[in-house]
Amino acid sequence: MGELLQHPAVQAGAAPFLAALLVVAILHFVRLGGLAAVAGFSVAVFLISGFAFSPLTATRKIVLLGLVAPVVGVLVDFAFKPNRLGQIVLALAAGAAAAWTFMSVLQQKDLAQALLIGGGCAAFVAWLVGFGLAQAEQPVRAGAMGLGLGLGGGVAAVLGASALYGSYALALGAGSAAFLLWQVVTGKCIRAGATFTLSVTLTSGLLLAGTMVLAQLPWYSLAGFALVPLATHLPVPERAPVFVQATVASTYALAVAAGACAMAWHSSGGMPGS
Amino acid sequence: MKHRFAVATIALALPLAAAAAPETYTLDPYHTFLHFEVGHLNGMSKLRGRFDKVSGKFTIDRAARTGALDITVQTASISTGDSDKGSRPRSRDEHLRSPDFFNVAEFPTMTFKSTRVVFKGEVPAVIEGNATLLGVTKPLSLAVDHWRCGPNPVSKKEMCGANASGMIKRSDFGMKFGIPGVGDEQQLFAEMEGYKD
Repeated sequence: MGELLQHPAVQAGAAPFLAALLVVAILHFVRLGGLAAVAGFSVAVFLISGFAFSPLTATRKIVLLGLVAPVVGVLVDFAFKPNRLGQIVLALAAGAAAAWTFMSVLQQKDLAQALLIGGGCAAFVAWLVGFGLAQAEQPVRAGAMGLGLGLGGGVAAVLGASALYGSYALALGAGSAAFLLWQVVTGKCIRAGATFTLSVTLTSGLLLAGTMVLAQLPWYSLAGFALVPLATHLPVPERAPVFVQATVASTYALAVAAGACAMAWHSSGGMPGS
Repeated sequence: MKHRFAVATIALALPLAAAAAPETYTLDPYHTFLHFEVGHLNGMSKLRGRFDKVSGKFTIDRAARTGALDITVQTASISTGDSDKGSRPRSRDEHLRSPDFFNVAEFPTMTFKSTRVVFKGEVPAVIEGNATLLGVTKPLSLAVDHWRCGPNPVSKKEMCGANASGMIKRSDFGMKFGIPGVGDEQQLFAEMEGYKD
Protein backbone atom coordinates (compact mmCIF):
# COMPACT_ATOMS: atom_id res chain seq x y z
CA MET A 1 0.00 0.00 0.00
CA GLY A 2 2.86 2.33 0.88
CA GLU A 3 4.54 1.75 -2.46
CA LEU A 4 1.25 2.34 -4.24
CA LEU A 5 0.76 5.68 -2.51
CA GLN A 6 4.25 6.74 -3.61
CA HIS A 7 3.48 6.25 -7.28
CA PRO A 8 3.11 9.60 -9.09
CA ALA A 9 -0.01 8.46 -10.97
CA VAL A 10 -1.68 7.67 -7.65
CA GLN A 11 -0.46 10.80 -5.86
CA ALA A 12 -1.49 13.20 -8.65
CA GLY A 13 -4.31 11.26 -10.29
CA ALA A 14 -6.12 8.32 -8.77
CA ALA A 15 -6.13 9.34 -5.11
CA PRO A 16 -7.20 12.96 -5.73
CA PHE A 17 -9.89 11.77 -8.15
CA LEU A 18 -11.34 9.27 -5.69
CA ALA A 19 -11.25 11.77 -2.81
CA ALA A 20 -12.98 14.38 -4.95
CA LEU A 21 -15.63 11.90 -6.08
CA LEU A 22 -16.35 11.03 -2.46
CA VAL A 23 -16.69 14.71 -1.56
CA VAL A 24 -19.10 15.33 -4.43
CA ALA A 25 -21.15 12.26 -3.56
CA ILE A 26 -21.55 13.30 0.07
CA LEU A 27 -21.70 17.08 -0.09
CA HIS A 28 -23.63 17.89 -3.23
CA PHE A 29 -26.83 17.54 -1.20
CA VAL A 30 -25.81 20.62 0.79
CA ARG A 31 -24.58 22.47 -2.30
CA LEU A 32 -20.94 21.97 -1.41
CA GLY A 33 -19.99 19.59 -4.20
CA GLY A 34 -17.66 22.33 -5.40
CA LEU A 35 -15.25 21.35 -2.65
CA ALA A 36 -14.19 18.50 -4.96
CA ALA A 37 -11.39 20.64 -6.39
CA VAL A 38 -9.78 21.42 -3.05
CA ALA A 39 -10.28 17.81 -1.96
CA GLY A 40 -8.24 16.55 -4.89
CA PHE A 41 -5.57 19.22 -4.40
CA SER A 42 -5.30 18.56 -0.66
CA VAL A 43 -4.84 14.82 -1.13
CA ALA A 44 -1.98 15.40 -3.57
CA VAL A 45 -0.28 17.87 -1.22
CA PHE A 46 -0.62 15.42 1.67
CA LEU A 47 0.81 12.50 -0.27
CA ILE A 48 3.65 14.35 -2.02
CA SER A 49 4.98 16.90 0.46
CA GLY A 50 2.81 16.96 3.52
CA PHE A 51 1.39 20.13 5.05
CA ALA A 52 3.98 22.50 6.46
CA PHE A 53 3.90 26.29 6.47
CA SER A 54 7.18 27.29 8.03
CA PRO A 55 9.15 28.82 6.54
CA LEU A 56 6.47 30.27 4.30
CA THR A 57 8.03 29.71 0.89
CA ALA A 58 6.27 30.57 -2.37
CA THR A 59 5.15 26.96 -2.79
CA ARG A 60 3.71 26.86 0.72
CA LYS A 61 1.91 30.13 0.10
CA ILE A 62 0.29 28.55 -2.96
CA VAL A 63 -0.82 25.58 -0.85
CA LEU A 64 -2.12 27.92 1.87
CA LEU A 65 -4.08 30.03 -0.60
CA GLY A 66 -5.36 26.85 -2.24
CA LEU A 67 -6.84 25.85 1.13
CA VAL A 68 -8.19 29.35 1.89
CA ALA A 69 -9.88 29.83 -1.50
CA PRO A 70 -12.74 27.36 -0.93
CA VAL A 71 -13.40 28.88 2.49
CA VAL A 72 -13.78 32.30 0.88
CA GLY A 73 -15.82 30.67 -1.86
CA VAL A 74 -18.23 29.14 0.63
CA LEU A 75 -18.63 32.52 2.34
CA VAL A 76 -19.32 34.16 -1.00
CA ASP A 77 -21.88 31.49 -1.96
CA PHE A 78 -23.76 31.39 1.31
CA ALA A 79 -23.24 34.74 3.04
CA PHE A 80 -23.06 37.29 0.26
CA LYS A 81 -25.15 37.89 -2.80
CA PRO A 82 -22.84 37.29 -5.74
CA ASN A 83 -22.64 40.24 -8.12
CA ARG A 84 -20.33 41.78 -10.72
CA LEU A 85 -18.67 44.08 -8.16
CA GLY A 86 -17.95 41.09 -5.93
CA GLN A 87 -16.29 39.30 -8.84
CA ILE A 88 -14.07 42.29 -9.51
CA VAL A 89 -13.10 42.62 -5.85
CA LEU A 90 -12.23 38.93 -5.62
CA ALA A 91 -10.24 39.10 -8.85
CA LEU A 92 -8.22 42.05 -7.57
CA ALA A 93 -7.66 40.31 -4.26
CA ALA A 94 -6.43 37.25 -6.16
CA GLY A 95 -3.99 39.42 -8.08
CA ALA A 96 -2.67 40.87 -4.84
CA ALA A 97 -2.35 37.35 -3.46
CA ALA A 98 -0.23 36.42 -6.47
CA ALA A 99 2.14 39.33 -5.86
CA TRP A 100 2.39 38.36 -2.18
CA THR A 101 3.12 34.74 -3.12
CA PHE A 102 6.17 35.60 -5.21
CA MET A 103 7.40 38.59 -3.16
CA SER A 104 10.52 36.71 -1.96
CA VAL A 105 11.60 36.26 -5.56
CA LEU A 106 10.56 39.72 -6.75
CA GLN A 107 12.60 41.34 -3.96
CA GLN A 108 15.75 39.87 -5.47
CA LYS A 109 15.21 41.57 -8.82
CA ASP A 110 15.62 45.17 -9.89
CA LEU A 111 12.50 47.33 -9.71
CA ALA A 112 11.63 47.27 -13.40
CA GLN A 113 11.89 43.49 -13.62
CA ALA A 114 10.01 42.98 -10.35
CA LEU A 115 7.14 45.18 -11.53
CA LEU A 116 6.98 43.41 -14.89
CA ILE A 117 7.03 39.90 -13.46
CA GLY A 118 4.92 40.67 -10.40
CA GLY A 119 2.45 42.72 -12.36
CA GLY A 120 2.19 40.05 -15.01
CA CYS A 121 1.55 37.32 -12.46
CA ALA A 122 -1.02 39.45 -10.64
CA ALA A 123 -2.81 40.30 -13.88
CA PHE A 124 -2.84 36.66 -15.01
CA VAL A 125 -4.27 35.33 -11.75
CA ALA A 126 -6.79 38.19 -11.50
CA TRP A 127 -7.91 37.48 -15.08
CA LEU A 128 -8.37 33.76 -14.43
CA VAL A 129 -10.29 34.36 -11.21
CA GLY A 130 -12.45 37.14 -12.67
CA PHE A 131 -13.52 35.21 -15.76
CA GLY A 132 -13.69 31.96 -13.83
CA LEU A 133 -16.13 33.37 -11.28
CA ALA A 134 -18.42 34.24 -14.18
CA GLN A 135 -18.97 30.47 -14.54
CA ALA A 136 -20.07 30.05 -10.92
CA GLU A 137 -23.69 29.41 -11.94
CA GLN A 138 -22.72 27.18 -14.87
CA PRO A 139 -21.49 23.98 -13.20
CA VAL A 140 -20.78 22.03 -16.39
CA ARG A 141 -18.80 24.87 -17.94
CA ALA A 142 -17.04 25.43 -14.59
CA GLY A 143 -16.08 21.76 -14.38
CA ALA A 144 -14.73 21.85 -17.93
CA MET A 145 -12.72 24.97 -17.09
CA GLY A 146 -11.23 23.21 -14.06
CA LEU A 147 -10.40 20.20 -16.20
CA GLY A 148 -8.62 22.34 -18.79
CA LEU A 149 -6.69 24.43 -16.28
CA GLY A 150 -5.79 21.43 -14.11
CA LEU A 151 -4.79 18.86 -16.71
CA GLY A 152 -3.28 21.40 -19.08
CA GLY A 153 -1.53 23.22 -16.27
CA GLY A 154 -0.12 19.96 -15.00
CA VAL A 155 1.39 19.04 -18.35
CA ALA A 156 2.75 22.54 -18.86
CA ALA A 157 4.36 22.57 -15.42
CA VAL A 158 6.13 19.27 -16.09
CA LEU A 159 7.38 20.67 -19.39
CA GLY A 160 8.47 23.74 -17.42
CA ALA A 161 10.75 21.58 -15.22
CA SER A 162 8.58 21.29 -12.11
CA ALA A 163 7.04 17.89 -11.57
CA LEU A 164 5.86 19.06 -8.13
CA TYR A 165 3.73 21.89 -9.52
CA GLY A 166 2.67 19.57 -12.33
CA SER A 167 1.41 17.02 -9.81
CA TYR A 168 -0.51 19.63 -7.85
CA ALA A 169 -2.16 20.99 -11.01
CA LEU A 170 -3.01 17.50 -12.27
CA ALA A 171 -4.66 16.78 -8.92
CA LEU A 172 -6.82 19.90 -9.42
CA GLY A 173 -7.73 18.54 -12.82
CA ALA A 174 -8.57 15.17 -11.29
CA GLY A 175 -10.82 16.87 -8.74
CA SER A 176 -12.53 18.82 -11.52
CA ALA A 177 -12.96 15.61 -13.51
CA ALA A 178 -14.71 14.01 -10.54
CA PHE A 179 -16.97 17.08 -10.21
CA LEU A 180 -17.85 16.86 -13.90
CA LEU A 181 -18.18 13.06 -13.93
CA TRP A 182 -20.78 13.10 -11.16
CA GLN A 183 -22.96 15.38 -13.23
CA VAL A 184 -22.47 13.30 -16.37
CA VAL A 185 -23.30 10.02 -14.63
CA THR A 186 -26.34 11.35 -12.72
CA GLY A 187 -27.49 13.52 -15.62
CA LYS A 188 -28.09 16.38 -13.18
CA CYS A 189 -26.16 19.58 -12.61
CA ILE A 190 -24.86 20.31 -9.13
CA ARG A 191 -23.84 23.70 -7.74
CA ALA A 192 -20.37 24.94 -8.55
CA GLY A 193 -20.48 28.44 -7.11
CA ALA A 194 -17.45 30.39 -6.04
CA THR A 195 -16.59 27.38 -3.87
CA PHE A 196 -15.45 25.55 -6.98
CA THR A 197 -14.52 28.31 -9.42
CA LEU A 198 -12.42 30.35 -6.97
CA SER A 199 -10.58 27.21 -5.84
CA VAL A 200 -9.77 26.07 -9.32
CA THR A 201 -8.84 29.39 -10.90
CA LEU A 202 -6.81 30.80 -8.00
CA THR A 203 -4.85 27.62 -7.33
CA SER A 204 -4.17 26.76 -10.96
CA GLY A 205 -3.29 30.39 -11.68
CA LEU A 206 -0.75 30.48 -8.87
CA LEU A 207 0.73 27.13 -9.92
CA LEU A 208 1.13 28.27 -13.52
CA ALA A 209 2.55 31.65 -12.50
CA GLY A 210 4.85 29.85 -10.07
CA THR A 211 6.15 27.58 -12.79
CA MET A 212 7.00 30.68 -14.80
CA VAL A 213 8.67 32.54 -11.91
CA LEU A 214 10.44 29.63 -10.21
CA ALA A 215 10.95 27.17 -13.06
CA GLN A 216 10.98 27.54 -16.83
CA LEU A 217 7.47 27.93 -18.17
CA PRO A 218 7.50 30.70 -20.82
CA TRP A 219 5.25 33.71 -20.20
CA TYR A 220 3.38 33.25 -23.47
CA SER A 221 2.17 29.85 -22.30
CA LEU A 222 0.40 31.69 -19.47
CA ALA A 223 -1.24 33.91 -22.08
CA GLY A 224 -2.56 30.74 -23.69
CA PHE A 225 -4.00 29.45 -20.42
CA ALA A 226 -5.70 32.80 -19.86
CA LEU A 227 -8.00 31.86 -22.75
CA VAL A 228 -9.32 28.68 -21.07
CA PRO A 229 -12.07 30.42 -19.03
CA LEU A 230 -13.07 32.36 -22.16
CA ALA A 231 -13.22 29.15 -24.18
CA THR A 232 -15.79 27.72 -21.77
CA HIS A 233 -18.06 30.67 -22.62
CA LEU A 234 -18.37 29.37 -26.19
CA PRO A 235 -21.76 27.99 -27.26
CA VAL A 236 -22.82 24.71 -25.69
CA PRO A 237 -26.13 22.98 -26.59
CA GLU A 238 -28.02 24.02 -23.44
CA ARG A 239 -30.92 21.64 -23.99
CA ALA A 240 -28.77 18.63 -24.73
CA PRO A 241 -28.10 15.96 -22.08
CA VAL A 242 -25.47 16.84 -19.49
CA PHE A 243 -22.90 14.46 -20.97
CA VAL A 244 -23.13 16.25 -24.34
CA GLN A 245 -22.73 19.66 -22.71
CA ALA A 246 -19.79 18.37 -20.66
CA THR A 247 -18.12 16.87 -23.72
CA VAL A 248 -18.46 20.04 -25.78
CA ALA A 249 -17.33 22.37 -23.00
CA SER A 250 -14.42 20.10 -22.06
CA THR A 251 -13.34 19.94 -25.69
CA TYR A 252 -13.17 23.73 -25.83
CA ALA A 253 -11.20 23.94 -22.59
CA LEU A 254 -8.81 21.11 -23.37
CA ALA A 255 -8.18 22.34 -26.91
CA VAL A 256 -7.11 25.77 -25.68
CA ALA A 257 -5.07 24.21 -22.85
CA ALA A 258 -3.39 21.94 -25.40
CA GLY A 259 -2.39 25.00 -27.38
CA ALA A 260 -0.83 26.55 -24.29
CA CYS A 261 1.00 23.27 -23.59
CA ALA A 262 2.23 23.22 -27.17
CA MET A 263 3.83 26.61 -26.57
CA ALA A 264 5.53 25.24 -23.47
CA TRP A 265 6.64 22.14 -25.42
CA HIS A 266 8.05 24.32 -28.19
CA SER A 267 10.09 26.38 -25.76
CA SER A 268 11.40 23.27 -24.06
CA GLY A 269 12.28 21.26 -27.12
CA GLY A 270 10.72 17.80 -27.10
CA MET A 271 9.66 14.61 -25.30
CA PRO A 272 9.68 14.37 -21.48
CA GLY A 273 12.69 12.46 -20.20
CA SER A 274 13.85 11.09 -16.87
CA MET B 1 66.59 46.94 36.54
CA LYS B 2 62.83 47.08 36.47
CA HIS B 3 62.98 48.50 32.95
CA ARG B 4 65.20 45.62 31.73
CA PHE B 5 62.89 43.08 33.36
CA ALA B 6 59.89 44.56 31.56
CA VAL B 7 61.65 44.51 28.20
CA ALA B 8 62.78 40.92 28.73
CA THR B 9 59.25 39.85 29.64
CA ILE B 10 57.82 41.49 26.56
CA ALA B 11 60.51 39.94 24.37
CA LEU B 12 59.73 36.48 25.73
CA ALA B 13 55.99 36.98 25.32
CA LEU B 14 56.09 38.24 21.72
CA PRO B 15 56.51 34.81 20.02
CA LEU B 16 53.67 33.45 22.16
CA ALA B 17 51.47 36.38 21.19
CA ALA B 18 52.18 35.75 17.52
CA ALA B 19 51.47 32.03 17.87
CA ALA B 20 48.14 32.76 19.66
CA ALA B 21 46.91 35.08 16.89
CA PRO B 22 44.09 33.64 14.81
CA GLU B 23 44.82 33.32 11.11
CA THR B 24 42.16 33.98 8.51
CA TYR B 25 42.10 32.33 5.11
CA THR B 26 39.88 33.25 2.18
CA LEU B 27 38.65 30.27 0.20
CA ASP B 28 39.98 30.00 -3.34
CA PRO B 29 36.86 29.73 -5.56
CA TYR B 30 38.78 27.75 -8.18
CA HIS B 31 39.76 25.04 -5.71
CA THR B 32 36.80 24.95 -3.36
CA PHE B 33 33.77 22.85 -4.19
CA LEU B 34 30.92 21.09 -2.43
CA HIS B 35 30.10 17.62 -3.72
CA PHE B 36 27.08 15.53 -2.81
CA GLU B 37 25.97 11.95 -3.22
CA VAL B 38 22.36 10.75 -3.08
CA GLY B 39 20.56 7.49 -3.78
CA HIS B 40 18.76 7.37 -7.15
CA LEU B 41 15.74 5.24 -8.09
CA ASN B 42 15.27 3.65 -4.66
CA GLY B 43 19.01 3.08 -4.28
CA MET B 44 19.69 1.65 -7.72
CA SER B 45 22.84 3.76 -7.81
CA LYS B 46 24.41 6.70 -6.01
CA LEU B 47 24.11 9.90 -7.98
CA ARG B 48 26.92 12.38 -7.51
CA GLY B 49 26.95 16.07 -8.18
CA ARG B 50 28.73 19.25 -7.31
CA PHE B 51 28.08 22.87 -6.52
CA ASP B 52 30.57 24.77 -8.62
CA LYS B 53 30.47 28.15 -6.86
CA VAL B 54 31.49 28.21 -3.23
CA SER B 55 32.94 31.16 -1.33
CA GLY B 56 33.86 31.92 2.25
CA LYS B 57 36.52 32.11 4.89
CA PHE B 58 37.99 30.01 7.64
CA THR B 59 39.90 31.08 10.72
CA ILE B 60 42.28 28.96 12.78
CA ASP B 61 44.10 29.64 16.01
CA ARG B 62 46.41 26.68 16.63
CA ALA B 63 47.60 27.83 20.03
CA ALA B 64 44.13 28.46 21.37
CA ARG B 65 42.75 25.46 19.40
CA THR B 66 39.84 27.42 18.05
CA GLY B 67 38.58 28.04 14.57
CA ALA B 68 35.65 29.02 12.43
CA LEU B 69 34.31 28.23 9.01
CA ASP B 70 31.82 30.33 7.07
CA ILE B 71 30.87 29.24 3.56
CA THR B 72 28.24 30.30 1.05
CA VAL B 73 27.18 28.07 -1.83
CA GLN B 74 25.43 29.40 -4.93
CA THR B 75 22.62 26.87 -5.36
CA ALA B 76 22.19 27.62 -9.06
CA SER B 77 25.72 26.28 -9.64
CA ILE B 78 24.55 22.70 -9.06
CA SER B 79 25.86 20.27 -11.66
CA THR B 80 25.27 16.53 -12.04
CA GLY B 81 26.73 16.26 -15.52
CA ASP B 82 23.29 16.51 -17.12
CA SER B 83 22.88 20.08 -18.32
CA ASP B 84 22.17 19.40 -21.99
CA LYS B 85 18.48 18.55 -22.32
CA GLY B 86 18.89 17.10 -25.81
CA SER B 87 15.46 15.98 -26.98
CA ARG B 88 13.98 16.23 -23.48
CA PRO B 89 12.04 19.26 -22.30
CA ARG B 90 14.44 19.85 -19.41
CA SER B 91 17.74 18.50 -18.15
CA ARG B 92 18.24 17.03 -14.68
CA ASP B 93 20.26 20.06 -13.57
CA GLU B 94 17.38 22.34 -14.60
CA HIS B 95 14.98 20.14 -12.63
CA LEU B 96 17.23 20.32 -9.57
CA ARG B 97 17.12 24.13 -9.74
CA SER B 98 13.30 24.12 -9.79
CA PRO B 99 10.98 24.41 -6.75
CA ASP B 100 10.94 20.61 -6.63
CA PHE B 101 14.46 20.59 -5.18
CA PHE B 102 16.79 23.53 -4.56
CA ASN B 103 14.37 26.29 -5.66
CA VAL B 104 17.24 28.53 -6.70
CA ALA B 105 15.04 31.44 -7.82
CA GLU B 106 13.75 31.88 -4.27
CA PHE B 107 16.84 30.67 -2.38
CA PRO B 108 19.94 31.55 -4.40
CA THR B 109 22.34 30.53 -1.64
CA MET B 110 22.83 27.94 1.06
CA THR B 111 25.26 28.49 3.90
CA PHE B 112 27.25 26.78 6.61
CA LYS B 113 28.42 28.70 9.67
CA SER B 114 30.49 26.91 12.26
CA THR B 115 29.79 27.16 15.98
CA ARG B 116 32.67 25.04 17.27
CA VAL B 117 35.81 23.40 15.95
CA VAL B 118 37.12 20.33 17.71
CA PHE B 119 40.87 19.82 17.42
CA LYS B 120 42.88 16.62 17.42
CA GLY B 121 46.34 17.73 18.32
CA GLU B 122 47.02 20.84 16.35
CA VAL B 123 44.65 20.18 13.48
CA PRO B 124 40.84 20.47 13.28
CA ALA B 125 39.05 17.13 13.45
CA VAL B 126 35.38 18.09 13.58
CA ILE B 127 33.63 21.30 12.57
CA GLU B 128 30.23 21.72 14.16
CA GLY B 129 27.85 24.34 12.90
CA ASN B 130 24.56 25.19 11.26
CA ALA B 131 23.56 24.66 7.66
CA THR B 132 20.86 26.84 6.12
CA LEU B 133 19.04 25.52 3.07
CA LEU B 134 15.65 26.61 1.69
CA GLY B 135 15.28 29.03 4.57
CA VAL B 136 15.66 26.30 7.21
CA THR B 137 18.63 26.13 9.60
CA LYS B 138 19.70 22.80 11.08
CA PRO B 139 22.82 21.59 12.88
CA LEU B 140 25.47 19.94 10.75
CA SER B 141 28.68 18.31 11.85
CA LEU B 142 31.55 17.98 9.36
CA ALA B 143 34.36 15.46 9.90
CA VAL B 144 37.68 16.86 8.73
CA ASP B 145 39.15 14.04 6.68
CA HIS B 146 42.30 15.89 5.66
CA TRP B 147 44.04 19.08 6.75
CA ARG B 148 47.31 20.56 5.67
CA CYS B 149 48.90 24.00 5.75
CA GLY B 150 52.03 25.31 4.15
CA PRO B 151 53.37 27.53 1.39
CA ASN B 152 51.96 27.14 -2.13
CA PRO B 153 54.71 25.28 -3.99
CA VAL B 154 54.57 27.74 -6.88
CA SER B 155 53.63 31.13 -5.45
CA LYS B 156 54.94 30.42 -1.92
CA LYS B 157 51.85 32.14 -0.48
CA GLU B 158 50.75 30.70 2.84
CA MET B 159 47.73 28.47 2.39
CA CYS B 160 45.72 25.65 3.95
CA GLY B 161 43.77 22.88 2.31
CA ALA B 162 41.17 20.55 3.72
CA ASN B 163 38.61 17.87 2.91
CA ALA B 164 35.54 17.48 5.07
CA SER B 165 32.44 15.32 4.94
CA GLY B 166 29.00 15.19 6.50
CA MET B 167 25.44 14.08 5.96
CA ILE B 168 22.08 15.81 5.87
CA LYS B 169 18.52 14.65 5.37
CA ARG B 170 16.99 16.89 2.76
CA SER B 171 13.54 16.40 4.22
CA ASP B 172 14.74 18.19 7.36
CA PHE B 173 15.05 21.28 5.19
CA GLY B 174 11.63 20.85 3.56
CA MET B 175 12.94 19.26 0.35
CA LYS B 176 10.59 16.28 0.22
CA PHE B 177 9.86 15.80 -3.47
CA GLY B 178 10.79 12.43 -4.91
CA ILE B 179 11.51 10.59 -1.65
CA PRO B 180 12.31 7.63 -1.65
CA GLY B 181 12.92 7.41 -5.40
CA VAL B 182 15.58 10.07 -4.88
CA GLY B 183 17.11 9.45 -1.48
CA ASP B 184 16.51 11.54 1.62
CA GLU B 185 20.05 11.26 2.94
CA GLN B 186 22.68 13.31 1.14
CA GLN B 187 26.34 12.72 1.79
CA LEU B 188 28.35 15.92 1.51
CA PHE B 189 32.03 16.20 0.61
CA ALA B 190 33.80 19.54 0.70
CA GLU B 191 37.20 20.22 -0.78
CA MET B 192 38.70 23.55 0.29
CA GLU B 193 41.82 25.55 -0.31
CA GLY B 194 42.30 28.98 1.15
CA TYR B 195 45.01 31.63 1.16
CA LYS B 196 46.01 33.54 4.22
CA ASP B 197 44.69 37.09 4.30
